[in-house]
Amino acid sequence: MLVSFNWLREFVPFEGEAQELGDRLTMLGLELDSIEDPFESVQDIVVGHVVECEKHPEAEKLSVCKVDVGSEVLEIVCGAPNVGKGQKVPVAKVGVTMPDGLKIKKAKLRGVKSFGMICSERELGFSEDHDGIWVLPENLSVGDKLVDALNLERTVLDFDITPNRADALSILGFARETALAFDLPLTMPELNLVEAGGDAASEVKIVIDDAELCPLYQSRIIRDVATGKAPDWMRYKLLALGQRPISNIVDVTNYIMFELGQPLHSFDLDLIEGGMIRVASAEDGMKFTTLDNMERTLTAKDLLIWDGKKPVGLAGVMGGVNSEMHAGSRNVLLEAAVFRPGTIRKTARRLALPSDASYRFERGVDQVMNTFALNRAAQLMAETSGGSVVSGIAKAEPKPWRDRTHRYRHARCMKLLGLDLEPAFAKRVFELEGCKVDDSDPADWKVATPSYKLDLEREVDLYEEVGRVYGLDRIPAVLPHVSKSLEGGAVTADTEYGFVRSLKRWGMGAGLNEAINYSFVGDDDLDRLNLPGEGRVRIANPLSEDQNVMRTDIAAGLLNTLKHNLAQGNNHVRVFEVAKKFIEDRDSDTETREQLRLGVLLYGSRHAAEWPWPQEDVDYLDIKGHVEHLLEGHFKFCAPECVMVEEHPYLSPCVEVKLGDERVGVMGQVKSDIADFYHARKDVWLADMDAEKLWEMDRGHRVTFCCLPKFPPSRRDITVIGSLAIHAQQVYDAIAEIKSPLLESVEMVAEYVPEGVEDERNLSFRLTYRHASKTLKDKEVDKQHKRVVDELLKKLPIRI
Amino acid sequence: MSDELKTFLEGLDSLARECEACKGQAASLKELEEIRVEYLGRKGKLAQNMQTLAKLPNELKPEAGRKANEVKQAITAMIDAWQDELNKAAAAASLSRFDPSMPGRKPGVGSLHPVTLAMDEICEVLVGLGFEHATGPEVENDWHNFEALNIPQEHPARDMQDTLYVSENIVLRTHTSPVQIRSMLNKKPPLAVIAPGKVYRRDSDLTHTPMFHQIEGLLVDREVSMGDLRGTLTAFVRQLFGQKTDVRFRPSFFPFTEPSAEVDISCVMCGGEGKNQDGSTCRVCKGTGWVEILGCGMVDPNVFKSVGYDPELYTGFAFGLGVERVAMLKYGIGDLRMFFENDVRFLEQFA
Ligand SMILES: [Zn+2]
Repeated sequence: MLVSFNWLREFVPFEGEAQELGDRLTMLGLELDSIEDPFESVQDIVVGHVVECEKHPEAEKLSVCKVDVGSEVLEIVCGAPNVGKGQKVPVAKVGVTMPDGLKIKKAKLRGVKSFGMICSERELGFSEDHDGIWVLPENLSVGDKLVDALNLERTVLDFDITPNRADALSILGFARETALAFDLPLTMPELNLVEAGGDAASEVKIVIDDAELCPLYQSRIIRDVATGKAPDWMRYKLLALGQRPISNIVDVTNYIMFELGQPLHSFDLDLIEGGMIRVASAEDGMKFTTLDNMERTLTAKDLLIWDGKKPVGLAGVMGGVNSEMHAGSRNVLLEAAVFRPGTIRKTARRLALPSDASYRFERGVDQVMNTFALNRAAQLMAETSGGSVVSGIAKAEPKPWRDRTHRYRHARCMKLLGLDLEPAFAKRVFELEGCKVDDSDPADWKVATPSYKLDLEREVDLYEEVGRVYGLDRIPAVLPHVSKSLEGGAVTADTEYGFVRSLKRWGMGAGLNEAINYSFVGDDDLDRLNLPGEGRVRIANPLSEDQNVMRTDIAAGLLNTLKHNLAQGNNHVRVFEVAKKFIEDRDSDTETREQLRLGVLLYGSRHAAEWPWPQEDVDYLDIKGHVEHLLEGHFKFCAPECVMVEEHPYLSPCVEVKLGDERVGVMGQVKSDIADFYHARKDVWLADMDAEKLWEMDRGHRVTFCCLPKFPPSRRDITVIGSLAIHAQQVYDAIAEIKSPLLESVEMVAEYVPEGVEDERNLSFRLTYRHASKTLKDKEVDKQHKRVVDELLKKLPIRI
Repeated sequence: MSDELKTFLEGLDSLARECEACKGQAASLKELEEIRVEYLGRKGKLAQNMQTLAKLPNELKPEAGRKANEVKQAITAMIDAWQDELNKAAAAASLSRFDPSMPGRKPGVGSLHPVTLAMDEICEVLVGLGFEHATGPEVENDWHNFEALNIPQEHPARDMQDTLYVSENIVLRTHTSPVQIRSMLNKKPPLAVIAPGKVYRRDSDLTHTPMFHQIEGLLVDREVSMGDLRGTLTAFVRQLFGQKTDVRFRPSFFPFTEPSAEVDISCVMCGGEGKNQDGSTCRVCKGTGWVEILGCGMVDPNVFKSVGYDPELYTGFAFGLGVERVAMLKYGIGDLRMFFENDVRFLEQFA
């Protein structure tokens, strides 16, 4: 919301600086965004006097002028047909930058030097007029800056307005706040409406179908207008607010909207048929052409303004092309109405037709101010167009405004705000805001709120006013005494957040970098991973097609992370992410099942630095090692069972990770054709763990201490020679089945494939034997070990 | 003194001198050991002298023995000293080959995302103040995300947040506030919860990403006041940004609180001066000295009504803040988009 400082001061005698005003209003809830000079782009233009003007000797259409700019007389070549001796004109001297960014330089036109430019209104952004140079009023002083000479507004405050402050969408609204903030009187503009006879009400009949949709509609008629330019003062004020002047009729409606907050609309009365205006809903599917010449398809929820025969305007949003004012229009039907905010909002949103008018209507306009706005607009229209105002108002007000009255309990207000103020303070605030206060019951007042404070809907809104005007920043800070029960209070570690945090700490400790990817990816990303198309949660209005679906698999995001890093030349990528995946679920109240996952992705060299670490790339044992580290090291679960999975959408090999009967995740290598897409030149290893399952198991898991052994162990190594088809797990399982009472643990210590051998390998295991209550003799161990070896040979087709 | 004794003693002295002359001859511990054996060994020179001692008359033996012991100790000390020197020289030689500047064998260093770090820090402070963790879904229905929070369908407040829709009734939550609703529906007052998590908006430019993180706080009890809110947030902000941080409450508007306020803190970059040391305008606060950090307010009675709390009985406050904003301020990260590109050179900087 732009507020012209001088325009504001027509209403309220504020003498301070604009910054002071902005700061104070900010603390009242109207946040100052910036203070701008609306005419900054023309600040170097000066007023010149054309003292000589002769035809260019070489070019018929050019004039060579001598222009007095106060400090000097410049020779300027000008191409405008209307330039002439004696004129006051705006001059851009050499070195000045024009609003369009063009910098004025010395020039030579057909042999004549030119030291500047005489400007048109369009070149300076004052109008579309470019028939010739802008001839200024004669009384301006030569050499003055144009902005000073025309007394243009130099200070416009830009405020961010929250949606509740419908009252702050006008100069008047800001004047009210300024008066409140600085205890200043408010002066309304004087109304000098001259009625010229006749009876508007008998010329146009107003009919409103639904009082809820339109509580008030009223019109005045202005006859014999001459459409043309609005007066300078009005145009300059609109320009200061960034509004391009259009015509006296349109400019007046805009002027009133910015000044008083009431949007208005002008119909060409001669195009209104049947002598009536009817406010009624549209019909589903009907077409209507708005004055931007676009045909709109309407629904029964849109509200229309009709004349006796046809729709002539989309209520509160935009007029129709069939009834708009045009250059030859003579008679105006001026509309001032109040519409139901939600209806206007819906139509403006659906048709993507936001305007300054709909913006105000959908927040609510002041129904009481409506008549003043209508009258003031009619007066200005007559004054600026030479027209005359027909007596009377054509009006229907099926639902007149009634002040809303709320109770106000001062003690309760003070408790809520944490303040201790005299009741008189609250009363004064309400009265300054235009409320009527009945405090005959000191504990329970009745406060009637004015039509322009639409945000005062309930008692609590009155509390806000007291707090806001006193200053929320002045409320003493205290720490709450909460009667919160200590019982059943979850400690962080037991919450989902606590669990996720511990997972993340694990990832960091394991030397991984935590990534956070967007929860959405593109359908293409999921298709590429061969993930099912059904069950996806799609975004109906995505920002782009690569963000149109919630990820159904955490890999989709992690692979994007890989791609980005490879593009940046980072060839050592070890990342993890804890995030949700999303699957459609019709039974859920959000139609979605969200599952927490832990993803790990490893790519490139195993170690970061090149030396002294060996240069090796990650392989299956790295991803598996991370999973084991998580399950056995971090959670202290037992060793997982790792089972090959034949088919997986994007992993091959793919290994399922199981703890007992529970599947807790998968890990494997991203299929190479998929990895290629992400520009991976090396193997990509990925694990996708079910974090919710892990959490559930972790909650049921208690760590119990085992006594440290008192007696020394004895170790024996065996090397198993066997086919590659015999998996290490089979050896572990076979040894475990033997159930040797003294055997404490089995660890693999080496894998070796002898040179020249293709289908066999040697796996060495170290077996640790120990007795709980004595030191084992070598003989006892040898005996046990021999039994283990013999049994093992029987169980598996191997050699030892 | 008898000649026998004299000869014996002189023999011992010359042995000592002879040994002393060996100084510097041993270049290694092995050679030194040979010298030790030569003089002090079982069949060494001193031992030979001792055989002479046995032949001396008994009355001369004490003096001769004393002298022999002295010489033995002297020779032992001498050889020990040489051994020390040799050891030192060997250590020095070994040190001269030691290169302390060789690159180390570093274990891989992991890191936490700056958003996680900021979130943890914020949550830790709030948990310390007595808040409990709560969570809710990221895909929400319209009722929890809007209606129950006093944001009806047609209200312009819906424009405050550009929403990503799954369907007419299902949205990606635009804020963590729906967790307030779910928490209140689950539990009767008093309650004090925080809800950190991801939120989504249909907005993407230099200062907005379509996904970001918020932390919501809610406290409901009898007689909770705006003063309590100020106290809680002032304590919170000071623990997070330092005890000298100034806090400013500005009236604002959120549909689910009334009154509502924006909380500004004195700029952490310029200390609230609005200017850098060199006099240039501070980039972070754009010269105002204040940085907007969170939104808050007293829970709107309509919100209480939608969860079945009696607004005449209970009051409460709620607040929410953006985690990326805090991370940017704390770590001086200038570009919001870096958070979700996950460049490992960026990620590795945080732990
Ligand atoms: Zn600053």
